[in-house]
Amino acid sequence: MLRFALKRAVAAVLVLFAISVLVFLIFFATPGADPAARIAGRNASQETLQQVRESFGFDKPLPVQYALMMRHLFIDRDLTSFVNRGVEVIPQIKQAIPITLSLVIGAAIIWMFFGILMGVAATAGRGSAVDPLIMIIGVIGVSLPVYWLGEVVNLMTQSRLHDSFFSWVPPLGYAPLSSGVWNWASHLIMPWMTLAVLYAGIYARVLRSEMVGAMNEEYVRMARAKGISERRVLWRHAFRTSLIAIVSLFGLDFGALIGGAALLSEVVFGLQGVGKLTYDSLQNFDLPVILGCVMYAAFFVVLANFLVDLVYALLDPRVRHV
Amino acid sequence: MKLRITTAVASAGALTLALAACGGGSTPAPSASAATGGTTSSSAANAAYDPAKAGGDVTLLAKTAGGTLDPKINYTLQYWQLYQAAYDGLTAFKKVDGQESFTVVPDLAESLPTATNDGKTYVFNLRKGIKFSDGTDVTVDDVVASFQRIFKVSSPTAGSFYNGIVGADKCLATPATCTLDGGVVADATANTVTINLTSPDPEFFYKLSVPHAAINPKTAPVKDAGTTPIPTTGPYMFKSYDPNTALVMVRNPNFKAWNEDAQPSGYPDTITEKFGLTVEAEVTAVENNQADWIFDSPPADRLAEIGTKYAAQVHVNPLTAVWYVPMNVNLAPFNNEKARQAVNWAVDKNAVVKILGGDKLAAPVCTILPPGFPGFKDDCQYTNPAGATWQGPDLAKAKALVTESGTAGQAVTIITTDDEVNKAVGEYLQSTLNSIGYKATLKPISGNIQFTYIQNTNNKVQISLSQWYQDYPAASDFINVLLGCASFTPGSDSSINIAGFCDKTGVQPMIDDALKTEQTDMNAANEKWAATDKAAMTQAPWVPLVTPKLIDFLSTNVSNYKFSKQFYMLVDQLQVKK
Amino acid sequence: MAIGTTEVLSTPATQSAGPWRTAWRDLRRNKVAMGSIIVLIVIFAACLAAPLYASSVMHLDAFTSNLDGKFTVNGVTGPVMQSSDTGLGLGVNPIGPTWLWNNFFLGADNQGRDVMSRLLYGGRNSLVIGLVSATLCCALAGFIGIVSGYFGGGLDAVLSRGLDVLWAFPVYLLAICLSVVLINQSLTIGPITLNSGSIILPILIIGVIYVPYVARPIRGQVMSLREREFVQASVGAGATDARLLRREILPNVLPTLIVFLPLMTAINMLTESALSFLSIGVQPPDASWGTIINDGVGLLYTRPMVAIAPGVMLAITAVALNLLGDGVRDALDPKARLRGAV
Repeated sequence: MLRFALKRAVAAVLVLFAISVLVFLIFFATPGADPAARIAGRNASQETLQQVRESFGFDKPLPVQYALMMRHLFIDRDLTSFVNRGVEVIPQIKQAIPITLSLVIGAAIIWMFFGILMGVAATAGRGSAVDPLIMIIGVIGVSLPVYWLGEVVNLMTQSRLHDSFFSWVPPLGYAPLSSGVWNWASHLIMPWMTLAVLYAGIYARVLRSEMVGAMNEEYVRMARAKGISERRVLWRHAFRTSLIAIVSLFGLDFGALIGGAALLSEVVFGLQGVGKLTYDSLQNFDLPVILGCVMYAAFFVVLANFLVDLVYALLDPRVRHV
Repeated sequence: MKLRITTAVASAGALTLALAACGGGSTPAPSASAATGGTTSSSAANAAYDPAKAGGDVTLLAKTAGGTLDPKINYTLQYWQLYQAAYDGLTAFKKVDGQESFTVVPDLAESLPTATNDGKTYVFNLRKGIKFSDGTDVTVDDVVASFQRIFKVSSPTAGSFYNGIVGADKCLATPATCTLDGGVVADATANTVTINLTSPDPEFFYKLSVPHAAINPKTAPVKDAGTTPIPTTGPYMFKSYDPNTALVMVRNPNFKAWNEDAQPSGYPDTITEKFGLTVEAEVTAVENNQADWIFDSPPADRLAEIGTKYAAQVHVNPLTAVWYVPMNVNLAPFNNEKARQAVNWAVDKNAVVKILGGDKLAAPVCTILPPGFPGFKDDCQYTNPAGATWQGPDLAKAKALVTESGTAGQAVTIITTDDEVNKAVGEYLQSTLNSIGYKATLKPISGNIQFTYIQNTNNKVQISLSQWYQDYPAASDFINVLLGCASFTPGSDSSINIAGFCDKTGVQPMIDDALKTEQTDMNAANEKWAATDKAAMTQAPWVPLVTPKLIDFLSTNVSNYKFSKQFYMLVDQLQVKK
Repeated sequence: MAIGTTEVLSTPATQSAGPWRTAWRDLRRNKVAMGSIIVLIVIFAACLAAPLYASSVMHLDAFTSNLDGKFTVNGVTGPVMQSSDTGLGLGVNPIGPTWLWNNFFLGADNQGRDVMSRLLYGGRNSLVIGLVSATLCCALAGFIGIVSGYFGGGLDAVLSRGLDVLWAFPVYLLAICLSVVLINQSLTIGPITLNSGSIILPILIIGVIYVPYVARPIRGQVMSLREREFVQASVGAGATDARLLRREILPNVLPTLIVFLPLMTAINMLTESALSFLSIGVQPPDASWGTIINDGVGLLYTRPMVAIAPGVMLAITAVALNLLGDGVRDALDPKARLRGAV
């Protein structure tokens, strides 16, 4: 187990290295990406442009620039933004993490609850109208662009029905947990639901498929033949073996979302999380922040997949890691 | 100056963060008191300060922060607007409503000095008894240090506004050792500062009145101060700044009004600019009185709503700015004058007006200088039927010119930014270029890259879409900056003459002549600028499209709206309802 | 008898008529599946007929700006782009849905173009990009997931970390970069040369970026399958890897892939619009359902139909594909057949 963890730690460093190099190269491969002119400002004289280029080290060879940036990010931990100068990247990310965590954990609970409920109900209701109905609802959820959905939710809760049905919905933005549980939750209910709509559909679909498959398996049939109740068969046997696919998906989704992939939800609901930070940095083409956000995201993707592989063994003890 | 250095973008996702049309209003020409539409601001333009109305908190909203807070470096309208209530230069634009706001008045200087030594020397008497917000006195040493700091921190305008100061050349070459020896000279006993220029500069007071020339303590860091506020002299100081959440301004305890024209006392106790909402959400927040004003332009689909349901809270003002289509005069097909003229004949400027939100929000233009600007004269060379103002396009003539030029059928790539409005104008241009015989493609790219991308000749941009907002009210800020040979540097990302237009025999001598005339006779110079404008447009390096108007949308919690044509709404003059 | 199920899916009817014919018969009896096929055929046909609709019914080019356009309904003529005439008169809005088949049925977009025509044209791009990239994604993911889960060890470690890099990779940055690079250059991948307007580019990008999303569950499934009794029994009986993969693993993984395919199609059609937004793939004035949704988000408060219509089309397509997928899977029922063979 320890060896396994160590191996994965080394692999994680390699993954982070690979991604940081890719990001760095892609950034500088973009024509017009040279930050000097953007930093120097409109109509800056050529001398000023040159001064900026030198003072930021843009005249140095790329490997040197890369090494310097990594040093500032990981060793000195004082990497600063090109655009909002004086703003350090690491504190910015730290500040954003609780917001993203609040959003993603809440949404994950909702989508796991509804995804599993819908998936199991669809399996149990095979052959009746329940099954296709649940599936259609799920697929519609997948087909809704989250940004559009968010804007519609805002239109309803902040504008059209703001004075009546949704008068309890606070202004957009985030309120920390320390300001009261209800205050925190009420700011997040709409974002949670919006984000969960997309994922619940996918999970319900995949879970149903796995469970229907499992219900046909020999051992499930045997269990049935032994007279074990349908409900017990459904939950104890079919559900449990079907969880592998769900856990894989959850690992990927959760890792990516914590890493900032919920950027559109965060943007549309005005939540200053990691996703919003990533989004702004891409908008501003602000390499240090992009790099910081991507490194942070990659870390969580690797971590989540590591945990998923551990859970496999729990769910299906026959699966062993070498 | 370009408006919105960091905000004029949208993208990175399945979304269109609408950055809608700028401006709007019901006064077609920039006349009289600018504010229209609203009910509040028709009060006497500049009533005396009323202490009874002071107090309260004002909340402003902006999609993103405007970058560094350092007044020597920040070059965004977003913060220049806020600096008005915080920083002072030796001189200042009058902080009043309307046309008067283009007037320069003495600020930290006792009076406006008359130039001596053939217009090359100015002696400023520094006002006594003024303190920075940290409690220290404003001294002549601070003034000298502030001018040195322009160069030491590589201010964007160091080489373009302040290169005429004696010793500036050395400072530009080696900023670290900048002294401006002989250029800016302090006399502590007389409490004067003498500024020597290498040649007369009639626009020098303007340049002293923008935030880059603000007077900061000599202890200010010799690098970009970033998010750390630098002590102020005005009625407000910056308390905190986090580009992800908010910028907070509070009253400067050491401020005592010295000249209400240059630096009036402010009304609110705090001014907070919050960042992070989408523009749609910002509009909704102001409608719900959750915030008092939005910096960004309201998105297109909200205009009708705020123009009807919230009409009393809306103020529309024309801007001295232009949306234009620079055509690269050094690259086929637009190295052919006839091809450029053809595009000028073909473009329906009313179509662009529609995209920007209708004729209340934008007006067609034919000249390089925007209406109401010094040197502007109604003149339209490409309009059908002919007239002094734009009437309509002439597609037949355009097609004929394309055929004549022999460029028909050539491939043309239009580069715009990827926000909704720019992209829509780009789509219209593409359609038009196709209709007159080109094979046009549209490439909307990230807003932050586009502006430098289209400037660099290495990128071989044929035609693009750009905007220019005035820095200060002088014709040279458009014609000399955007079409002068000095602004064209091949291979550089900073080459603001995007068309690459450098007419050494025709237009450039006219520019030089107008600049020279400015030193003695502004009115005669403005006549010459008008002629230069016309001469340049004959060669058609651009298609000037429209001049935008600005919408200010306020909550019902605030009143006393004042609009300075130079720095826009005077934030600190807003009065909070009690 | 057992047959390789992939072959059944890809080469219809020609070989071993028995099971295929059975499957086809089953499918034909499945009313829901047949209904889905009809819906899909109607959508395909309508999209193919887009030029016909634009030229003969609507009489308006779907790709030319029409900001000065006029329309006539019931003898009343008005501008397509209508200036607000109340209050301060701010804003210009395209006309909304007329619900008349031949006259701005769904209204106009912000260039005054007919949304219905663009919806039909856009369907062509969306369907091609969505279906091809989803197929590519599922094929790649199936291959990687199976190889990784079956062989395990070092190969699995390398592939899995590769998937991690891919999953954490900032695609938008790549898209921004490509959009600028491709303005003046074209991209050459082997024998293919791509420019930024080519739809092969978004197909490749989208097809690849979601591979981890499908591959990881497949890998988990295969890891679990590999230890099952019936697989272990085959191993004990001396079956080769190739035979095991084909006869035991693949048939068990296929239902999962069939479920993912329609889901990924829907997700990919939406992802495509994000890339289009960054100038990769479908370029203005061309359209896709995703790009029309993008246009519609900007008109949300005044003309919501511009975003709703393509969203509905997208959802209908995804639902039909899902129902069809279920039908195909039930008809093939590879597990039942497999078990019969063992």
